[in-house]
Amino acid sequence: MSTRIRLGLLRLTDSAPVLVARERGLFQSLGLHPLLSIEPSWANIADKLTYGLLDAAVMLPPLALASTLGLRGPAVKLIVPMGLSQGGNTIVLGGEAMRKTANLPPGARLLSWLAAQPARPRIAVVHRFSTHNLLLRYWLALTGIDPDQDIETVVVPPEQVVPALASGQIAGFCAGAPWGMAAEQAGAGTVLMGTSNIWPFHPEKCLAVREDWALANPEALTRLLRALMRAQRICDQPEEADAVVSLLADTSVLGLPREALRAALMGGHDHEQIHFHGAGAAFPAPPHAAWFLNQMRRWGWLDEAADLSAMARQVYRPDLFALAARMEDLFTPVGLGHDTAVFKAPDPKSPAEIRTPDF
Amino acid sequence: MSQASTARFHHGGPENRRENTSPRLYVYLTEHEPLRGGEASRTGGAPIVRRGETGTDIASLLPDDKRNRTVKVLLADDDTARAAALMKVLSADPGLIVLRPAPGELLADAVAALAPDVVLVDMARPDRDALEGIRVIISNVPRPIVLFVDHDDPAFMEEAIGAGVSSYNVLGVPPPDVKPILRAAAALFRHHQTARTELRDARTKLSERAIIDRAKAILIKERRMDEPDAYRWLRERAMATKRRIPDVAHEIIRTQAGGKSGPDVKPEREDAP
Repeated sequence: MSTRIRLGLLRLTDSAPVLVARERGLFQSLGLHPLLSIEPSWANIADKLTYGLLDAAVMLPPLALASTLGLRGPAVKLIVPMGLSQGGNTIVLGGEAMRKTANLPPGARLLSWLAAQPARPRIAVVHRFSTHNLLLRYWLALTGIDPDQDIETVVVPPEQVVPALASGQIAGFCAGAPWGMAAEQAGAGTVLMGTSNIWPFHPEKCLAVREDWALANPEALTRLLRALMRAQRICDQPEEADAVVSLLADTSVLGLPREALRAALMGGHDHEQIHFHGAGAAFPAPPHAAWFLNQMRRWGWLDEAADLSAMARQVYRPDLFALAARMEDLFTPVGLGHDTAVFKAPDPKSPAEIRTPDF
Repeated sequence: MSQASTARFHHGGPENRRENTSPRLYVYLTEHEPLRGGEASRTGGAPIVRRGETGTDIASLLPDDKRNRTVKVLLADDDTARAAALMKVLSADPGLIVLRPAPGELLADAVAALAPDVVLVDMARPDRDALEGIRVIISNVPRPIVLFVDHDDPAFMEEAIGAGVSSYNVLGVPPPDVKPILRAAAALFRHHQTARTELRDARTKLSERAIIDRAKAILIKERRMDEPDAYRWLRERAMATKRRIPDVAHEIIRTQAGGKSGPDVKPEREDAP
């Protein structure tokens, strides 16, 4: 009897590693048979993790941290043993003002768009505790715009941002692939820029696991991470993109639009591509968690006295990642809070220990 | 000077925009709450429906003695039958007013327009995320809306979540006793969920039987098996590959449809070590 794993995900391009792992038999080959649950909202994912109806989920890193800190409901101890993807979000603005300013840099373009708005513009993000919201707010503040005064932030589900922009319910949005491109294709808005311009290779989705489940099932957790690592490598290969697109476009799987999916994957032509494996996408770096926490504190959502570094280390678990990565012949990147550059004398009994550094 | 007018890019408050894009609001009141104004129509035991403008002060429509004692419940559930059933249950309490968002209205807009005390949300709604961290403007004072949590009774919370209904409260107003409301909702959602699951299981069983029959027909024709042999072949293959019989049957049909010459041509998927 294999360990029960109930794994939640949303209908998004960056859920790909989980679905690829199932489709290619990667879970099965490691003796896992996770029960996948496609949820309609992040709030559902957070609630079901909180009340033990899910064991793990594809998650927004700030929401995993907020759930652990009890910022949106009762506190639930979650851990993040790996990242799942980087980048892929775009900032889209509607209206005529964007069409005339294509030659300006993004900051100047935003200011000119803002000045042309008849009322305080309403900008949609996908969740309050999302990478989208925190990156957008950070960049607005950098550009001299007060995200609490100069704009109004609302939360709109990703699938509804394009019609909401077309009908004028919102003036712009920051959402994941494929919705930026879909908005341009529908003539509803213009892409200002991808969020990787704000933070190159920024972490996007992560795997969040209930800490009690992880403690009770350490071996199953390691196997889960290994299966997802294998899937991430597949998702990053341009020659696999068509197969990944077909899988996610399948109406019995996610039923996402084919063309926009292809554009967001490696070798695609969207404003930015999602990274699943390269550039340390899988590594759960505590400094990344600390950045998210620091932004949350900056906007007054967290206690001033909170020990952010301790919180980051409690939730983000590079040690668990390193254990699984080693079994997959992968290494942990250096300089991200978990340097394991310890020189080990080669053990003749286990030649697998001897590795040529990957320069 | 109001906070908003100090904003550099603020040329008009959100209230201005709301006037321009004012959605038609459907206000549903229970039959216990006769309306002033006489526009209401009463249809059998169904709730009274009144079309009003966004921003209608619901309390002003109520008789004087009800004005300050009622709890406004916003019910966001697109399942019409279930919503009607729940409204009927809740309307047994004369202290409750049950409101519903207009079709197509953003949940956040409905909350802002109606300023409910309690929001009951079908967890299948993707726009539930809009309530996380929202502030409702009541008498010009923004109040946070928060997930209802019964810390003393996690099993009750789990039951509600498992049934697919979630509840939010508006903070800073006299707290209504939410538990009976959520309990009624959870019971009703569970009832509908069970009925749906049974229906789906029945449909799945029917379609699986059809799939197995088609796969057997293929085996009988191409392998010249008789029916018991064909079924046995499917069962053994299912056991050998640790899959369910309908899955094996499905594969046989797919292979056939793909123009291959027989079920054995398609290799088993290599599971990487």
